[in-house]
Amino acid sequence: MRRLDPDNAAFGASDGAMLPPHASATYYDRPLLKKPHWGWNVVTYLFAGGIAGGSGILAAITDETGEDAPLVRSAVYIALGLAALSPAVLISHLGRPERFLHMLRIVKFKSPMSMGVWALVIFSGAATGGVADQAARDSYLPRWLSDIFPRALTRPLLGLVGAFMCGYTGVLISATAIPVWAIGKRHIPAFSVCSGMAGACAANAAVLALSGGPEKTIRKLERLELVASLSEAALLLDFKRHAGKLGVPMFAGARGLKLGLVTGLCGIALPSLLNVLPFHTRWKTVAASALTLTGAFVLRETLIEAGKASADDPRAASRQPE
Amino acid sequence: MGNGFFTDTTLCIGCKACEVACKQWNQLPADGYEFSGDSYDNTMALGGTTWRHVAFIEQNAPPEAPPTESRWLMMSDVCKHCTHAGCMEACPTGAIIRNEFDDVFIQPDVCNGCGYCVVSCPFGVVDLIHPADYSVGRGFVSDGRSSDDALQKDGGIAGKCTLCYDRQKVGFTPACAKACPTESIQFGNVDELKARAEKRVEKLQSAGVSAYLYGVDSDWSTGDLNAFFLLTDAPEKYNLPERPVLPSTHQAAGYMSGALAAAALALAGFAILRSNFA
Repeated sequence: MRRLDPDNAAFGASDGAMLPPHASATYYDRPLLKKPHWGWNVVTYLFAGGIAGGSGILAAITDETGEDAPLVRSAVYIALGLAALSPAVLISHLGRPERFLHMLRIVKFKSPMSMGVWALVIFSGAATGGVADQAARDSYLPRWLSDIFPRALTRPLLGLVGAFMCGYTGVLISATAIPVWAIGKRHIPAFSVCSGMAGACAANAAVLALSGGPEKTIRKLERLELVASLSEAALLLDFKRHAGKLGVPMFAGARGLKLGLVTGLCGIALPSLLNVLPFHTRWKTVAASALTLTGAFVLRETLIEAGKASADDPRAASRQPE
Repeated sequence: MGNGFFTDTTLCIGCKACEVACKQWNQLPADGYEFSGDSYDNTMALGGTTWRHVAFIEQNAPPEAPPTESRWLMMSDVCKHCTHAGCMEACPTGAIIRNEFDDVFIQPDVCNGCGYCVVSCPFGVVDLIHPADYSVGRGFVSDGRSSDDALQKDGGIAGKCTLCYDRQKVGFTPACAKACPTESIQFGNVDELKARAEKRVEKLQSAGVSAYLYGVDSDWSTGDLNAFFLLTDAPEKYNLPERPVLPSTHQAAGYMSGALAAAALALAGFAILRSNFA
């Protein structure tokens, strides 16, 4: 049976025995809320969806006629690959594959999860179109596919729906009763977007570096990654300040240490440093990308795990953030 | 207004007949035989297959105080069937509906077990249950059956109080209210129940009891509760939130900040990608 873990308590364990009678603050320190049942598959989805969305934005804002044209190619392929992975991990989390279809029977604006499923459906379509067009241009597929999937249609879709894919997972998480998530209603969606964008830059830079893409494009991606990573760091620090005691499950103890070391140091500080160093090699780009992606994954893992600990804290749950 | 419960905790004697009647009528598995050590409460919380839970709050006076200062609070907790239900708003399949009796009902064949309602209930009522616990012919619940691994392997669904939808359909009183020997649990039209509850509060207050109604005439974002309570101590002593918040009220701010961040980064990206630096 579940009980409060004092290390994760926002206000410390209440210890009924130590308090005067009539003053025992909670119900035997038993949780008020239910824990999220989300594990590695949902974490993987949050990670993959964010990077797919960020790649969609990259595909939309790149000048396809200029020297950065290879970036459009890598971005649509990454967007499609990760958009294809997303339903797979979501289905694995449901246990029974056919149940994914239950979400396609309605469109519900009030439910971020319903909105997200439809965004994923539209995004997957646009990414498929984008890849078909790219493969046709590269002569892997018949030329006429480019006429069916014009870039004028697929790229704005990838950009707009991609931006939604990046951010809605943050809304989904913070529009709940879990205290550490609810207190982050302004921060979690914003740093999800930043982290998704940084991850997309990292993934695309790594692919371009390994496939002999243009140096100049890689430099630009590294610069954008720097902007996104530093914004993410600023938002995370502001979230820690804003959440105060409710942020204990995320920022204190072993979980906080892991977030600081893996996401903060290895996932943001180190790759940012690597990206501003005055020399450039392909392997430096790949190393920085791998670090950024690891940090982005651990950020989402920590967020979900912190939610589980936060649900166990009855005093945090009793005064719910407005 | 539809049907609901008025649970008067001052009348509860902690017999747990409601828990048993609910389990029997709804064919729910037992909670196992765990000894909690926390007063007479071995149920501990509402859950996917536990739709009534009797809480026992022992408040012992210090030795120097008169023994009349000691008291024992008992409360039969249940799904609140909120006017604005977080679980129902979150559900991406439309499995959670408001039925003709104005109660919040989960259609088990439509639910896909995503678990979003679980984190969207400000009262911690809904939980996922293993298929073996809702199919016909279920036995005692065994430890680990509702573990996250088992749920992911076999696919769970969300479970909570149906306010005995099936019994209401044929004009019966829900099992818990029917079984309650002291009428601590009263079932009926919510407006009538509220009028009755307000009279009861007046009577108790005039007798010096600090009674109040939880979930009536509230300014909460969840709205009033179709299953409301008469309490005599702070909500958190009963493991109820002081002020429940409807999770969807966080969405506007969330979408706004996400859109701002995306617009800012897209602009920065556009500027960097279109720039001509060496």
